[in-house]
Amino acid sequence: MIESYAILPCNGLDKCAGAISREIAIKLCENAGNEMICPVFYRVAETKYNKIAGEHPLLVIDGCPTRCASKLAAEKSLKISKRITITEEAKSHNIKLSSGLRLQENENTLVELVLYELENAHDNAAVVSIESNTSYHFDYESFQNGKFIFRVPGNPQIYFNENDCWAYVIGNRARIGVTDFVQQNLSDILYFTPPEIGAEIDQFGEVGEIESSKSVFELISPVTGKVISVNKTLEQKPELINENPYESGWVAEIELTDFESDKELLIGFDKYFEIIKKKVEDLNG
Amino acid sequence: MDKKIKVIPCSGIGKVFGLLARESVLKTVLELCPEKSETICLAYIVSGDEAVNEKIAKTRCITVDGCPKMCASKNVALAGGIVIEEIKVLDTVKEHKGKNFGSATHLDADGEVVVNEIAEKIAIIINEIN
Repeated sequence: MIESYAILPCNGLDKCAGAISREIAIKLCENAGNEMICPVFYRVAETKYNKIAGEHPLLVIDGCPTRCASKLAAEKSLKISKRITITEEAKSHNIKLSSGLRLQENENTLVELVLYELENAHDNAAVVSIESNTSYHFDYESFQNGKFIFRVPGNPQIYFNENDCWAYVIGNRARIGVTDFVQQNLSDILYFTPPEIGAEIDQFGEVGEIESSKSVFELISPVTGKVISVNKTLEQKPELINENPYESGWVAEIELTDFESDKELLIGFDKYFEIIKKKVEDLNG
Repeated sequence: MDKKIKVIPCSGIGKVFGLLARESVLKTVLELCPEKSETICLAYIVSGDEAVNEKIAKTRCITVDGCPKMCASKNVALAGGIVIEEIKVLDTVKEHKGKNFGSATHLDADGEVVVNEIAEKIAIIINEIN
């Protein structure tokens, strides 16, 4: 982030959206230069916070449509540079928030997405890799052919294309990689060529390359969007794709632009599991 | 009068003692006394919104403050709540001198101990009242 903010969050306690607002504010303040304005203490420490608000552009983060933070800013006649409302962010990212007061997977994903957008809104020119902190969980089904075991994750968030690439979709972000079929066929993977951070990729466009002594495989993106992160570890340790192409061997993260449309040309676990079995049979048939 | 006791922590954003206050309250209302207590956002209370003023006026409240500024206690009283107990996080912290409680975003094991102690104190008060 180039410019530092004075951040006025609602700091909500009794609603999930408020807890998210607070989390985002704290994480932004852990980054250099940003300053926090406490919405409660502001009422008694006006001089201190007026100074902070006067020295930095003001970012107001409201949790819910009650907009406590915005009201406070208006009451203090502060000029708002940027305002976000968490419930609206959740809606735009198609993330359903829980009714609990503790942040769960969906809420943490939204925190990461909003942080990413805030940071990039200030730094369009800089190309940075923002790997999400989202936890990815995989529930595998497998089958064996000879000595080879093929695993396919059955989670409903994971989609496949018939080019043997997968996308784990959370909100407007997808982590992508290749399936066991690719890594078993290539055998020992020796090189990984990542896509460029910031590259705009079309669905079924090339999104990196992996190479073994047997052949080169072009990764075909299951989704359309912008590359926001790549698995840099693979450049030094491409063998991680052999070890586990879904977890340590993931390839890139894509900020989705039109997943609803992409989805129409993707398949779920049931269909892909049948396809991979058929491919393996045909290869060995 | 609303039966549920309101347990309200300070805003405490950006400081470990504020996080201790907040986590103690969440443990109380979510785990120890979910039937007898609930929390209300202090930032909402100080906004002066009529709906929240109505909810808190003449209602029994326990406030939990992270620092001597006592934002929670003062503002709940200003909003018309009946503060039946003022909990000060620092009173419990002082019993754990030299320990590392964590940061504004994460509690270490000693921080969890303090949270549990404060939450249990609040739960005892709530149960005695009921």
